[in-house]
Amino acid sequence: MISSSPRRRFTVARQAVGQSALLWGFLAASMVYLLVFIGLPVVYNLVMSFQDVTLGNISELWRPLIGLDNYREALGDSTFRKVAINSIVFVGVNVIAQVGFGLAAALYFAQRFPLAAFLRGLVLASWILPALVVGALWKWIFATEYGVANYVLLAIGLIDRPIYWLSDPAFALSSVTIANIWFGTPFAMILIAAGLTSIAEEQYEAASLDGAGPIARFRYVTLPALWPTLLAVSCLVTIYTMRAFDLIFAMTQGGPLDSSNVLPLFSYQLSFLRFHFGLGAAVGSTTFVIVLAVALVYVRTLRIEAEA
Amino acid sequence: MLRRSFLAGSAAVGLSAASASAQARTVSLWHVFNLETDMIYGGMKAFNESQSAYRIEPRLVPGTQVVTELVRAIATGAVPDLVTIDSPVVASFSAQGTLTDLTDLVAKSTYIKPAVYFKGPWASGQWRGRTYGIPRDANTLALYYNADLFRAKGLEPDKPPQTWSELKAAATKLRDASKNVYGFGFCATEAEEGVFQWLPFLWQAGGSIDKLDQPEAIAALQFVTDMVRNDIASKDVINQSQYEVINTFMAGNIAIAQGGPWELPRMGSNAKFDWRLARMTVKDDKQIHADCLGGYDFLIPKGAKQVEGAFRFIEFMSNPEVLNNGWKSGRLAPRSDVVVQNPLWPQAYAIYRSEVPVARPRGPHPQWPDISRPIQVAIQQALTGAKTPAEALKEAAAKVQPILAKTPLPSAD
Repeated sequence: MISSSPRRRFTVARQAVGQSALLWGFLAASMVYLLVFIGLPVVYNLVMSFQDVTLGNISELWRPLIGLDNYREALGDSTFRKVAINSIVFVGVNVIAQVGFGLAAALYFAQRFPLAAFLRGLVLASWILPALVVGALWKWIFATEYGVANYVLLAIGLIDRPIYWLSDPAFALSSVTIANIWFGTPFAMILIAAGLTSIAEEQYEAASLDGAGPIARFRYVTLPALWPTLLAVSCLVTIYTMRAFDLIFAMTQGGPLDSSNVLPLFSYQLSFLRFHFGLGAAVGSTTFVIVLAVALVYVRTLRIEAEA
Repeated sequence: MLRRSFLAGSAAVGLSAASASAQARTVSLWHVFNLETDMIYGGMKAFNESQSAYRIEPRLVPGTQVVTELVRAIATGAVPDLVTIDSPVVASFSAQGTLTDLTDLVAKSTYIKPAVYFKGPWASGQWRGRTYGIPRDANTLALYYNADLFRAKGLEPDKPPQTWSELKAAATKLRDASKNVYGFGFCATEAEEGVFQWLPFLWQAGGSIDKLDQPEAIAALQFVTDMVRNDIASKDVINQSQYEVINTFMAGNIAIAQGGPWELPRMGSNAKFDWRLARMTVKDDKQIHADCLGGYDFLIPKGAKQVEGAFRFIEFMSNPEVLNNGWKSGRLAPRSDVVVQNPLWPQAYAIYRSEVPVARPRGPHPQWPDISRPIQVAIQQALTGAKTPAEALKEAAAKVQPILAKTPLPSAD
């Protein structure tokens, strides 16, 4: 937009003023957006979490303040503790697995075999599907009697009795975790693949000349160069997984006995199935604080990545 | 959309104020009925054609989201004029003053006479002597059974089980692991429908919701627990919605399945075997016929702009002639003066019709979701073996009884 031709050089000063006004405009627009569409809901939710909110007073803004009662009740509830632990396990395993498998897949498709790029794009297909569809799909796969998972495991003799993937409290969380890993890995892979392409070919050539084998090249060239990307991807996956809702809703609704329930789903159930809006808001705010912390780490790693 | 009408005067019977305006006023309706054969579609069309003062503008909201949407609408003040809500949830809204009191309108109504309604459905719209919801339809449970499988196992297909012990015996005989057939199927999810499907057992055993830790309730939970523990019913019942239970039945993998009349339309086209219906069984030593009541109520949220028009549509939909069409999609009328002549699925109609008078409502209670939740947990604890039925119900009773001590359930249950 801004011309740099010599004939227009006299306008540079004016442009600088215009440009800085434009930049302030950009700042203002993004601030307004953040305040209206993110700040307000967060503050509204936070306010609700300190109030006694019922169906009767939900349309009003001034509701009885009850301080930390909602938080106290949530933290004292054994279901909340169970669900919080589920969330941590669910997110932790997802991040490690999605980044791990994503890295492996990215490296695999970085090899120059025919149709590599095309197939890499195809893998992304699963990520494009709506979560509710993926949930329904995995509910079929994990069906005890007719599901593919049990059929295959029984056929190859790994198990001798069908596993109740979704109706055994000991398995339900693992089952939704597996489904979510499948769902999220392509996204991690694509981001990591993008990071891989930014590593200069010369580095590998130089390493090869120094006598580095494939493992040494991965260890001393790929991994250090990719490190900021991996951190950033981990943060993104954490944020995405922390919000997981539809997939679990479709597969188990959080059951049996909340064994596969996670914080966002629990918050929804408290607010909209049981009408404990304040309690639901408290659980939601707690989740938000966790996501915010991870988001801050993400922003920091982006800076490190930019500096690298 | 506003439509200019030149026929307003002729159609506005008994509504002189409305007829003065020649504009059809829009009445927004949120409903959950996605089957084209549902009576709401014919009803809307006929209503819009029968008069020109009001025009129904429908919005189909998925059943799982309608409560969420209504809460959102109440919070922001942008409520629809009319909405259909699952009956046990109605009291949560009516007790909090979020609905329009319809008592006076009902008193003046020609069609809506409380006396002709079955007690259970009518109760669902009541709170402290005032009327906030008008039942649209009613449903309850019965036993779908696969007569072909009965024959294959030497059971008499014309004599379905009538008692708990007969049900258990038949289901045991029908269980065929080699063919992946379970004898009995029901829904025990951690959701309202899981409670809907277990309460009949509680009531048949002579138990009640305010006495969950008593032997009657324990016997009821023990009965279904034994079905699962003895492998007569699949362990998957705790993660199978009612819809999925019936899918499994239609695939021939459940011999006897507990289900509602709304399943009939797809049963007719999908089940490729001789399927029939039987009444719910009774407990041998109690002989109490009891069933659980479901259905939808029409509500007018407080703040609705077209209360008059919305109520006129409720009246229109409560006309026995309109209610007669409900059965086409497996919806029973909530009132005793509607008898469908030559019904579709005549045998099923007779069975469900005989269950409605013994069906009991859930609540009405403003904290019904808080009562339902401990029951869901108890059922799941027992079925997974995490706790014995007695332990699980003791825990549930400890959560339910304080709620009922403050606000008791109307009548015995």
